[in-house]
Amino acid sequence: MIELSITGTNAITFPHLDVWDWRIVIYLFLGGLSAGMLVMCSIANLRIPKQPVEELAQCVRAPFIAFIVLAVGAQFIIFDLGSPFHLYWGYLTFQPLSLMSWGTWGVPAVLFVNALYILAVIPKDQRHRLRFPFIIKISEKLAPKMRLIAKLNFAMGIFLGIYTGVLLSSFSAIPLWNNATLPILFLVSALSSGAAMIVIIAKKAEIKFLFTKIDIWLIVAELVVIALFFYGLYTSTAPYKKAIEPFFSLTDEHFIFTIALIAIFLLLPLALRIKLGELKEFEDGFHGEFTRAQIFRMNFAAILVLTGTLILRAAIVYAGQLTKLSFY
Amino acid sequence: MPRYVMVIDVERCIGCMACVIACKKENNVADGYFRTRVVEEVRGEFPYLRMELRSELCNHCEIAPCIDACPTRASHRAKDGTVQIEKKKCIGCKACILACPYDARYSTPEGVADKCTFCDHRLKEGKKPACVETCLGHSRIFGDLDDPNSEVAQLLKKHDASVRLEFAGTRPRVFYINKKFAGGL
Amino acid sequence: MSITRRDFLKIVAVTGGVAVAGTPVVKSVLALGKKPVSLPQYVPTTCEMCFWRCGLIAKVVDGKVVKLDGNPLHPNSRGKLCARGHGGIGLLYDPDRLKTPLINTGSRGEGKFKKASWDEALGYVADKMQKIKEKYGAESIALLTHGTVSTYFIHLLQAFGSSNFAFPSFALCRGARDTAFEITFGEAVGNPERVDIQNSKVVVLIGSHLGENAHNSQCQEFAEAVGKGATIIVVDPRFSTAAGKAKYWLPIKPATDLALLLSWINVIINEGLYDKEYVAKYTVGFNEVASAVKEYTPEWAEKETEIPANLIIETARIMGKNRPHVLIHPGRHTAWYSDNVQRQRAVAILTALLGAYGRPGGIYLNPKKKLEPVFLAEKDYPEHQKTAINKGNYPFAGEEGVTHAIVKTTLTEQPYPIKGWFTTGINIIKAMPNQRDTLKAIQKLELLVAVDMMPYDGVMLADVVLPECTYLERHDDLFTVKERAFGISLRQPVVQPMYDTKPGWWIAKELGKRLGLEDYFPWNTFEDFLKMKCETWGIDYSELTKKGYISFPESEKPYISADNEPKFKTPSGKIELYSKELKEKGFDPVPKYTKHEQPPEGWFRLIYGRSPVHTFSRTTNNPSLWELMEENTAWVNAKVAKRTGLKNGEYIVLVNQDGVKSNKVRIKITERIRPDCIYLVHGFSSTSKLLRKAYLRGADDQQLITKYDIDPIAGTVGMRVNFVKIAKEA
Repeated sequence: MIELSITGTNAITFPHLDVWDWRIVIYLFLGGLSAGMLVMCSIANLRIPKQPVEELAQCVRAPFIAFIVLAVGAQFIIFDLGSPFHLYWGYLTFQPLSLMSWGTWGVPAVLFVNALYILAVIPKDQRHRLRFPFIIKISEKLAPKMRLIAKLNFAMGIFLGIYTGVLLSSFSAIPLWNNATLPILFLVSALSSGAAMIVIIAKKAEIKFLFTKIDIWLIVAELVVIALFFYGLYTSTAPYKKAIEPFFSLTDEHFIFTIALIAIFLLLPLALRIKLGELKEFEDGFHGEFTRAQIFRMNFAAILVLTGTLILRAAIVYAGQLTKLSFY
Repeated sequence: MPRYVMVIDVERCIGCMACVIACKKENNVADGYFRTRVVEEVRGEFPYLRMELRSELCNHCEIAPCIDACPTRASHRAKDGTVQIEKKKCIGCKACILACPYDARYSTPEGVADKCTFCDHRLKEGKKPACVETCLGHSRIFGDLDDPNSEVAQLLKKHDASVRLEFAGTRPRVFYINKKFAGGL
Repeated sequence: MSITRRDFLKIVAVTGGVAVAGTPVVKSVLALGKKPVSLPQYVPTTCEMCFWRCGLIAKVVDGKVVKLDGNPLHPNSRGKLCARGHGGIGLLYDPDRLKTPLINTGSRGEGKFKKASWDEALGYVADKMQKIKEKYGAESIALLTHGTVSTYFIHLLQAFGSSNFAFPSFALCRGARDTAFEITFGEAVGNPERVDIQNSKVVVLIGSHLGENAHNSQCQEFAEAVGKGATIIVVDPRFSTAAGKAKYWLPIKPATDLALLLSWINVIINEGLYDKEYVAKYTVGFNEVASAVKEYTPEWAEKETEIPANLIIETARIMGKNRPHVLIHPGRHTAWYSDNVQRQRAVAILTALLGAYGRPGGIYLNPKKKLEPVFLAEKDYPEHQKTAINKGNYPFAGEEGVTHAIVKTTLTEQPYPIKGWFTTGINIIKAMPNQRDTLKAIQKLELLVAVDMMPYDGVMLADVVLPECTYLERHDDLFTVKERAFGISLRQPVVQPMYDTKPGWWIAKELGKRLGLEDYFPWNTFEDFLKMKCETWGIDYSELTKKGYISFPESEKPYISADNEPKFKTPSGKIELYSKELKEKGFDPVPKYTKHEQPPEGWFRLIYGRSPVHTFSRTTNNPSLWELMEENTAWVNAKVAKRTGLKNGEYIVLVNQDGVKSNKVRIKITERIRPDCIYLVHGFSSTSKLLRKAYLRGADDQQLITKYDIDPIAGTVGMRVNFVKIAKEA
């Protein structure tokens, strides 16, 4: 029996870390969502144009919503800061080893490129809605460079998707996060949630169907990567084995993480199942209209995916802070 | 430039906790927050028991994960080699608290990160850190490792020393010498 | 618009000039919001967070005490302070401090206080005191006191005509060991104890948990001994911090310590491991001791103490082999059972047999310096009409009085009633066992006055509360420090008294004035008295105020040598291994073992001790120390706890043999204690609502000590005789 009695502990680090909470979870979720949406939009513009995709390419709503989502997400992390008025110091330097620094510069950069993309992609007949003449002028100048901006946007989306994962994996003191699988997991999860979001906001049923198909691959990838994530930690050393215990615990205090894991492995496959079901119906190719029920099922599957992504982020952020490198 | 290290002679610590509170008073640490602590670890079964009293604090690591994590250079290495926080630059993102494997940091009520400074304001006056000064057991010993005549250099020459979480690769500057017991770190 | 080169240069010059001239202006404007940083002041004084009384140096910035550090000159602190010492700031700025005099408007003990002026409060007290004197006699006023405030109130009491005072530190704490050492060696062992730990080769702690008992310099020396590789032998039913440093931890069955000591003496005598020369030269009664201990063999002792006989022999041999550099710690709190003095006599005899008294690593001799006593006033005290009752009828009771004698006299009114109590610097609820008796006794009084700094449980019972300021805000009498060398330590105010609190000397003097006793307080301020005292003693007062401590290094003569022969103030002039004094008074001249009651099945003996971050109930509300330890825990053996099904940290209640229930307390399930005891740190669970941090936190061990033994030799009590059971939280 080891008896431990410690005089002089801080509540933020003992008995376990209690540093980042729902604000960061929402930031990571919205950041990932925005990243996924940007990537999806950009792909649409970089593919050889096909009928439904052309229409997407001219759809401004997706990148616009991605912009709002990321801007709102950034508010949450600023809300989490203890001294937000000192934030300008982050812009007087760049710390290549600090993921927070990458985020400080990166998020505004993503927003900027996203704004350019919106201006480049906005259809001619909608341009007048930009109101301000000099913005309209910029939009006119950018439109011909759309493919280039789309490539930039794509890169920014990938960056944002990976960055949210590397932010967590950079902490060597937190065994659950400190592995190479986490950034991949967050990227795949971000892309999946991006595709799901586009399914929900798309007005045209064909777009919904297209991204439902795309999301199938991403969900499969996500489930595989989650499994690899846990397996990789299980086969690592003691603190890492301990870090995944909350997800497999049957005791009261950590049971919620087991439930979270079960939820993820219920929601995502269920969404998958629904999507595959849809797919089967149109094996022979797409003809005509979708029924309301079919549209509802596609939206529902997308919501399941989004929920699953949110639960995943929350579980990883909270469970990570339960286990440290030291044994107490 | 000096290479400040702390050597903790574990068997001499008698668990008086004077260091925990002296540090707070010297550095005006807010109620409920601590920059150093004493861990009392007892192992075994009655009546075969072993006890270790171990004080823990910021190790001012030579490869400091907290410095790497800081986006504004608030956490930085000072000229004397110690790890310090420039509060005016701290945005309170708490990345450094997550980065530290030693639970050395905390977030003050004012919203900035804080930790042991090796009492650099005292070092400048040629004094020892407050915890070292008041240690009843003469268990905390502080000095310049680059000075071969210093007590720390002599102790590290004569005794095996270990550091906390060596595998974390941070190269701490706080060394524990334990001439009688093994393990417990 | 185009700019000529000339214009350009003009612009640059003007800008540069403005910048150079303007920078200091801008800097000073920016600095307007900031306060100038004052230089700190360093004031030396003496601590009173416990009774070690370390010299400290206070750092004051802008009238606020920001740090306390040990005074390097003072031998009790040697430049360091323990946790309590640093916590003095917490006491000074504790928002729960007593701020004004209070008068109880409810029934006795109700604590329904109204604020009063000093005039009103002191007038009330003086008036009542005069009435008691007229009706019952001055001796009917008694004083229970502790700390430096005792100086003034004992003086006042005696000037008033009574000597019925008692310090809890005698009968409830160190009395037994001082009595035992006085009987054996002719003098008490001192405060600080004259233990030469840093030079000991073997340190035996029997009933001492040095380390958790954070007596500054003694802890420093203990750590030094540990560092030097001394063999530590700890005899304790609980695995204390000291046991954690020990080579031998003997988890003795409680109440059998005397058996172990006598058995050690048996082995050491039988194997000839005692210092023969020393014994022959300095002691009397060796043969009587040798024959008396014949029956106390290690095999016999094993049955009593549950310590294996071979361990008893091994540890005795280690002591013998390392003589005379062996320290058998004389103990401090020795108020355990009914044979306290005899048990500590065994410690003293063992010390003498090993030749350790007056030798390096043992007990060092008193410093060779004597100063003539200087009294608070030249005037003689009035004659007493009645005999003082404060020593009970205990033949060896010390001058400090016996607390329960006063309580008993108050209850029984025999030989005469006690109608007034002063409780100064003592928490009568937490200090004295059998709280029920105390609460009954105070109902017999016509006056109960408390002088203290914080609204402790006992203070809340008073009719009048007189708030004394803390040690950081007052002068007190010079401390004569008899460590290895002799020294004088000063206490002077570091800051002015906060709120409407006053130093003890002022309270006593003002009260004295109202009692017509001005002549007994001839000095204007206490500093005048101190200056006069220094002058009498040939000490430079201003030097003392600057340094805080003045030492007389030439007085240091700790060991016996050719030119330093010890003088034992015993009847025989030698160390009395066999005490004729005791025999004459009808007690065993050599300690005899008596069995004490053991807890019945299902019950546990309640044992108690100290925490390094607290001083009994004095500090449990101190914000700086409270955050290090908010409440105590009940230590229960792990196997015992397993049977109860309790989880670590769960709240339980302890019930004692008289049905008294404790406050809820967290259980500490541990391997570090014998299965037959439960341990609590003393002083917790205040019943005073005004102590917002300490109120009902943890369990009060004293509340469960409703039964107590009395050692007939000196009247010291035995408080380890209560048994408790665990009950789930009510």
